[in-house]
Amino acid sequence: MAGIVGILAFDKIWNISKFMKYSLMGLQHRGYSSSGYAILNDKISSGHFSSPPEDIEINEHGWAGIGYTGSKEGYPIVFDDVALVIDGVIKEDPKIIAEKVLSSPEDLKDVRGAFSLIALTSEGKIIAYRDESGLKPLAIGGFGFDMAIVASEMTAMSVIGGEFRREINPGEMIILDKYNIESKKLKEPKKSYCSIEYIYQARIDSFVNEKSIYELRIRIGEELAREKPIDADTVIGVPDTAIPFAIGYSRVTGIPLDLGFTRTGSPIRTMLASNDFMKIVGVQLKLNVIKSAVFGKRVILIDDSMVTGTTLKNTIFSLRKMGAKEVHVLIGSPKLISYCPYGVEVPQSSELIAANLSEEEIAKVLGADSIYWLSIDGLYKVIGSKQLCLGCMLNSYPKVI
Amino acid sequence: MNEKKVLLIGDGARENALAEALSNNKVFAISSFINPGIKNVVERTGGKYFVGNINSKDFVKEIIKQVNPDFGVIGPEDPLFHGVSNAFYEEGIPVVGPIDKDAMVEKSKVWMRQLMWKYKIPGRLRFKSFSNLAEAAKFILDYGGSVAIKPSEQVGGKGVKVVADIQAYLSNEKRQALSKSVDEIGKYVADDEVKIIIEERVDGPEYTLHVLTDGSSYLPLPLAQDYKHAYQDGIGPETGGMGSISGPKNLLPFINEEEYERSFNIVKMTAEAIEKETGEKYKGFLSGQMMLTDLWGPTIIEYYSRLGDPEASAIIPRIKNFGEILELMAEGKLSKAKIDLVEEPSVVRAIAPYGYPLNKSLAKGQKFYVDLQKIKEKGCILYFGSIALEGNELIAQGSRALELVAFGDFDEASKKLDECMTYISSDRKIIYRTDIGRTINDMVEKAEIVRYAYKNREKHGILGVSADWSPNGGLW
Repeated sequence: MAGIVGILAFDKIWNISKFMKYSLMGLQHRGYSSSGYAILNDKISSGHFSSPPEDIEINEHGWAGIGYTGSKEGYPIVFDDVALVIDGVIKEDPKIIAEKVLSSPEDLKDVRGAFSLIALTSEGKIIAYRDESGLKPLAIGGFGFDMAIVASEMTAMSVIGGEFRREINPGEMIILDKYNIESKKLKEPKKSYCSIEYIYQARIDSFVNEKSIYELRIRIGEELAREKPIDADTVIGVPDTAIPFAIGYSRVTGIPLDLGFTRTGSPIRTMLASNDFMKIVGVQLKLNVIKSAVFGKRVILIDDSMVTGTTLKNTIFSLRKMGAKEVHVLIGSPKLISYCPYGVEVPQSSELIAANLSEEEIAKVLGADSIYWLSIDGLYKVIGSKQLCLGCMLNSYPKVI
Repeated sequence: MNEKKVLLIGDGARENALAEALSNNKVFAISSFINPGIKNVVERTGGKYFVGNINSKDFVKEIIKQVNPDFGVIGPEDPLFHGVSNAFYEEGIPVVGPIDKDAMVEKSKVWMRQLMWKYKIPGRLRFKSFSNLAEAAKFILDYGGSVAIKPSEQVGGKGVKVVADIQAYLSNEKRQALSKSVDEIGKYVADDEVKIIIEERVDGPEYTLHVLTDGSSYLPLPLAQDYKHAYQDGIGPETGGMGSISGPKNLLPFINEEEYERSFNIVKMTAEAIEKETGEKYKGFLSGQMMLTDLWGPTIIEYYSRLGDPEASAIIPRIKNFGEILELMAEGKLSKAKIDLVEEPSVVRAIAPYGYPLNKSLAKGQKFYVDLQKIKEKGCILYFGSIALEGNELIAQGSRALELVAFGDFDEASKKLDECMTYISSDRKIIYRTDIGRTINDMVEKAEIVRYAYKNREKHGILGVSADWSPNGGLW
């Protein structure tokens, strides 16, 4: 899981390093245990860190660059005349990818994988390609008359005051330099947008895969309310992702919405946390229960997904300790039952609680009064399209890589 | 049949469009190179084509004496700045185009802003002017707020830097870059003492209102919008305009009747103010390059003392009697003019050689191939811009070479342009945008957002009121 960005200034009076850092911060919800940059001045210089973008300093000066924030180490991959960042999975040697970028970028269409890629060449070109599946997002925008930006999500643009223009189509390549922005349709799109992108990964102020994320997540909550109305006193969303679900659920049922938790320290996305210890720290610190919001109440607790169930178990335990009378769990996604071959960190089936236990058993493990997942049909309905990858929910994958 | 003689000055796509509109007359023209489109009209109407320095008063006077035209039309701004309009009047020939004193409204941005403040014309922006570049750089570093930095003189849209300073964490970087840009911007202004003007920065959808005046009557033309960014999707460096749209009818989908009236009033007030200031009636085009802003509603970004290009290519072919209107204006009978308008919109796509706008020497000399017949059959109009007929070849002169026009609702017209593009090719890459006319909804939304804000300001009596303060710089 990763956020990638490329920035090119048309005028060398600009030093983009700070822009790069903040752009990457605008993507660190996509993964943050590693980060890195490659910046071009006369030659490409780079830096790699095992910390999130918000904790790094970029001291290089340059007018074009690419950056990475995510869960893999070693990005950008830097060669003499080209540097690469990738969100997703590529089955080829990066060296071969680099050669393709330099000699005939159109050949990237034949690369096996599911990915979005941004490359920077030492002669000042930025080449961006989103594979025909569109499994990984990619967008393009500008900054006044001064810069062009390509990035996983528009949030990388808005945080630096740039303007999001559009998403790059699946199968489309963009070649950017000082004198031109070229768009090439290398392959017919075979859209199978990642459903996790909609449900969990993208930021709520983002527009990804042709949809406004906030709006869509509200509708997921509304759909849950239609599929599973529950008689209760309060609706609580697990921060941050599940809050729009809770808003939607509350709107339809009329059950009041409460803020059930507050957090200590900076947000840690438990799904992305680098190790188990961090996960526990993340859960327990971030989900400190607000007693007066739940005491003596029948609580509907909505979360975005469930992997091992550990997080939720702790959360429910904390809610009960603060006096929740009942805890009904709703999950804003269908059951996760299978791994992701495309780089979303969904573990093997053996680690996924929903793949191994019945609903009743899960409720028992979690200590919940009831549990319900959004239906597959409900998800299709909300998104309004079947051009979706539901691999981790159906164990059936749209693209062989 | 009208057999008047008209002398047209200029060599771009705008002048090609003007030549077509004037082709009920015998068209004589002066260009700095042979524009194939203008040449065609001149030959068709039995006029004569002169190649020479269009900015030389003496040269133009010589041609006036030779041709003895009934009236003249001046296309670009540079001849106006050099007093070519005066040359016509000195020879007793009426002309469309203000005299040099009045063209100051375009030539000097400082003069224009001072005028707007002196006469309290709505839609004016706060500004500061600098002779000393170091002082300008310091001002940029010291002050809070968003600014637009421009050369103090009209230099074809070059050198403008506009930066919103909203993210405090990037403020330093932006100010560093802007203060570095000061030297470069200053270089564009050759002789004038004042080199740089810094204005408060505003945001909103842009549009152009062209007003034609003979000094007593005012005729507002249909609105147009030009697209400044060089590259697809509104990204890239500033250009003279990579395309434009006009219509439907008199308006654009994101500007309403009331805003059109207000804009017209601003331009009219300005023309009257110019007369008070210079003692000479303003005659010709006075065009407001405007923006709908949250500060003022209709706001002046710049003035043109001529038709905008590529706006002209969107507007002129929509006005069936444009040639007659120009003639009436020259004769001082503009009050009799009525626009015979094609109601449906037009979309213009400019086509430039590779290298434009950042490296014009790279862009110069590129060859283009055009199938004019096929383009006509497909229902598009082609105007020749910065492209010369040399022998039998079309050679780019470094700027926007061609402008392709289509009518129809915006989508339909854009599709027509896509089809017609297949009949234009080059020996190298060409630069053009296919998104022109395809972002109407975004503009409508943008306009709605600023409309809430300026209407609110109006209600509270704070329309146009703004200030910036910063700890080191104080109040501006």
